[in-house]
Amino acid sequence: MDLSTSMSVAASGMRTQSERMKIIAENIANANSTSASATGDPYRRKIATVKSDFDRELNATVVQSGRPVDDMSPFRMQYDPGNPTADAKGYVKLPNVNSLVEIMDMREAQRSYEADLTVMDATKSMLARTVDLLKK
Amino acid sequence: MNLPEIPLLSMLKERMGWLNQRQNLLSQNVANVDTPGYTARDLKPADFEQALRSATSSNNFSGSLVATNPRHITMSHGAGLFDAEDTPDIESNPSGNSVSLEQEMIKVSDTQMQFQAATNLYAKAIGMMKTAIGR
Repeated sequence: MDLSTSMSVAASGMRTQSERMKIIAENIANANSTSASATGDPYRRKIATVKSDFDRELNATVVQSGRPVDDMSPFRMQYDPGNPTADAKGYVKLPNVNSLVEIMDMREAQRSYEADLTVMDATKSMLARTVDLLKK
Repeated sequence: MNLPEIPLLSMLKERMGWLNQRQNLLSQNVANVDTPGYTARDLKPADFEQALRSATSSNNFSGSLVATNPRHITMSHGAGLFDAEDTPDIESNPSGNSVSLEQEMIKVSDTQMQFQAATNLYAKAIGMMKTAIGR
């Protein structure tokens, strides 16, 4: 167990946060994706999951991204009779993505990523200090 | 007497090992800041008196094994030497995660500074020895 373990753990955190960022980006990009037919469902919002995992090789608890789960909340309904995917009453199903929620999630992922980065910086400077002992 | 047996240097080595392990735990806490049900962990504070006694006494009765013969097997120092404990911060969020990012950042920079102090002291001690041998 040495300082490179800390680096690996911080890196696992950064990897997980970027995976989470990817799912948030998918949600935001598909915020208006309707289905191709009048009967089908539009894009369903995905929720990123995070789980911790004990890495025997590192002897440390690293973090991993789990399978994204679907958000089962109801779809938004919009009255738009001219739309080819509208139902009999003229309503179109829109994805259950709320941009505000996504932006908040994005900020959270960003902060966690920055925290991991700070830990990595601190560890790196400790490592550099130790190596600097050689040149004294 | 070889270099690692000098009390000051061995104490600094111990200190750096402790800080190293603490940094390890802190990085695990920060990485798991979004994991549901994760509890923050930290090392128990190092017992300075005990460390001083074991570093300065020639006959070591503090409980660890001593190699008095080159063929003896000593306990390996370094990995997993210090005890960790759960240190849940004051609040935990609804998912049961109790890592406070601010608290962890303070601890990380604290560890970093103490490590710098230890390495500076180490360099100073080596410098003093060099002065003693006239270089």
